[in-house]
Amino acid sequence: MHSAIQPIVKKELKTYFNSPIAYIVFVVFLTAASVWFFLFNGFFAGNYASLRGYFSSFPFLFIIVIPAMTMRLWAEEKKMKSDEILLTLPFTETQLVLGKFFGAFVLFLIMIALTLPVPFLTAFTGSFEPGEMIGQYLGTALFGALCIAVGMFFSSLCSNQISAFLVSILALAFLVLSGYFPMMVEMPNALARIINTLFATHHFDSFKKGVLDSRDFIYFAGMTILFLYLNIRVLILKKWK
Amino acid sequence: MIEVKNLVKNYGTFPAVKGVSFSIGKGEIVGLLGPNGAGKTTIMKVLTCYHYPDGGSATLNGYDAIREPLQVKHQIGYLPEMAPVYTDLNVYEYLNFIAEARGIDGAEKGARIEKTAAECGLTSVLYKEIGNLSKGYRQRVGLAQAILHEPEILILDEPTTGLDPNQIIEIRNLIKKIGKEKTVLLSTHILQEVEAVCDRVLIVNDGLIAAEGTTEEIGKSLKGEPVLHLAVEADDADAVAERLKECEAVTAVRSAEAKNGRVTAAVQLTSESRSPELFDWAVKNRYRIAEMYFEKIGLEDIFIRLTHEGV
Repeated sequence: MHSAIQPIVKKELKTYFNSPIAYIVFVVFLTAASVWFFLFNGFFAGNYASLRGYFSSFPFLFIIVIPAMTMRLWAEEKKMKSDEILLTLPFTETQLVLGKFFGAFVLFLIMIALTLPVPFLTAFTGSFEPGEMIGQYLGTALFGALCIAVGMFFSSLCSNQISAFLVSILALAFLVLSGYFPMMVEMPNALARIINTLFATHHFDSFKKGVLDSRDFIYFAGMTILFLYLNIRVLILKKWK
Repeated sequence: MIEVKNLVKNYGTFPAVKGVSFSIGKGEIVGLLGPNGAGKTTIMKVLTCYHYPDGGSATLNGYDAIREPLQVKHQIGYLPEMAPVYTDLNVYEYLNFIAEARGIDGAEKGARIEKTAAECGLTSVLYKEIGNLSKGYRQRVGLAQAILHEPEILILDEPTTGLDPNQIIEIRNLIKKIGKEKTVLLSTHILQEVEAVCDRVLIVNDGLIAAEGTTEEIGKSLKGEPVLHLAVEADDADAVAERLKECEAVTAVRSAEAKNGRVTAAVQLTSESRSPELFDWAVKNRYRIAEMYFEKIGLEDIFIRLTHEGV
C-alpha cells in the first residue's frame, strides 16, 4: 500500500510546485501568522515566553489556506477530465484518496516547517518549554490533516475549483468557529461539552497548551479517517453515475 | 481479448448504451464507428472501469470489469477523448508518473519512457510543460501514456484528432504495429481511418450495434440484389430501358439517362454471376457497351444508411 500510493504523492507535489499555488499559499500563511503574532497579539509587549499566541492564529488561517491547497485535488481533475486517466490507472479508490491526501499533507508539513524559525528566534527572548512546543506542532499537524481531509472531500463533490474553495471555507469555518460558542455565550454545561467534543477548537486548545490527551488524538484521527472514507465512497458512487 | 455481453448503461434516465454485445480477439484491431452521442465513449468507459454498467457484463482477458477492476486496469492502456493529460507537468514528469503508477521502476523506467517518446514523436518536447504544447503534441502524450507499459489491450477514443496528415499516418502505423500482437479497440468518426487501420468495424447507433464485420461483409448484407451500371452507345434512353427489361438476368431498371450519345442505366440483376448475359443482350440489340461496373457500397454509404434510417 505504501509504495503503491507513492507515485500519486509525488505527482501531487510536483503539480503544486510547478504552479504558483504552493508559493502563494506559503507566503500568505507565513506572513499572516507572523503579523498576527508580533503585531496584533503583542508578543514583545506581553512579556511571557509562550508561543500560544502564534499557534492560536493557525485555525483561523487554515480556514482560508487549506481550501486553497485542496480545492484542485478532485475538482480540477474532473474539469480537465484528467480523472478519466487517473481513475483508470491500476489504483484502488483507497489508494487514490490516500495518495492525494498525503500529497497535500506533505505540502502542508513543508509549510509548517517553514514556521520553525519563529520559535527558534524567539527562544532567545525567554525560557520556552520544548515539551509545550512539541505538543503545539503535533496538534497543528493533526489539525491540518483533518482540514485537508475535509477540503479534499468537498473538492470531490464540486466540478470546479472556485466552488470547491468556497464550500470548503464554509465547512472549515463551521468546524473551527462553532467551537468558540461555549466561550462566548452562556449555555448549559452539557451543551458546552457536546460542542467541545464535536468541534475542533477545544481539542486543538489542549495541544496548544502542551497537553497530550488521547481523546484529542482520537478526535483528530477519527474525524480525518471519516472524511477520507466519505471521499472514497464518493469515488465509488461516481462510477455508478 | 475483450468480451462484452448485453451491456446496458444509463446516465440518469438517459439510456446511453442499450444492450451491446461483441467480442474482440488478440491480434485484432476493431473500430467503433458511429455518430456523436451514439454510445462509443460510454462503451469505452465501462471497459476501462471508469463507469459501472447497469446491466450485462464486460470481460477483458478473462477479468470482469465490475468485480475485478484492478486486474482489468492492469491489462489495459486507455486514451480518453481529447487526451486529458496534466498540463502542469512536463512530458517527462508526466510519463514518469504513468510509469511509476504502472509499476515500472529503476533502469527500465527511463528506457521505456525514451522508447515510447521516440515512437510517439515526443523526443524534442520531452522537457516542455504539457500546458504549452499544441493540441497535436498533447494528443501524442496521451497516446504515449496509453502504450507506455505495452498493455495487452489498448482502448483509444478518437486517437488521431488534432494531428496533421503526416502524424496521422505515423500514429496509424504505430497502432497497426501494436495491433499485430495485442487487442485494440479504437473509436473514430473518420471513415478512412477505419478502412486504413481496422480489421473489423462495429457500427454503433443510438446505443445499439447497427452492423458488425469487415467493410465488405457489411456492404454485402446491406446491398441486397447487385446493381450494375451499364453505358451503351445509343440516344434513346427509353428504348434501351425497354430492351433491358427483356433480358432475363435483369429484374429491374432503376434508371436510364441519355447523355453525349451514350445511355447510362442502373440495372438490378438476379445475381452477380449473370452479368455476362448482358454482352449477349448487347450483341442481339446491336448496342456497343462503353462501360460496365458493379455498384460498390463504400463505408460512407453504409454509415449514412445505418445511422440515418435507423435500423
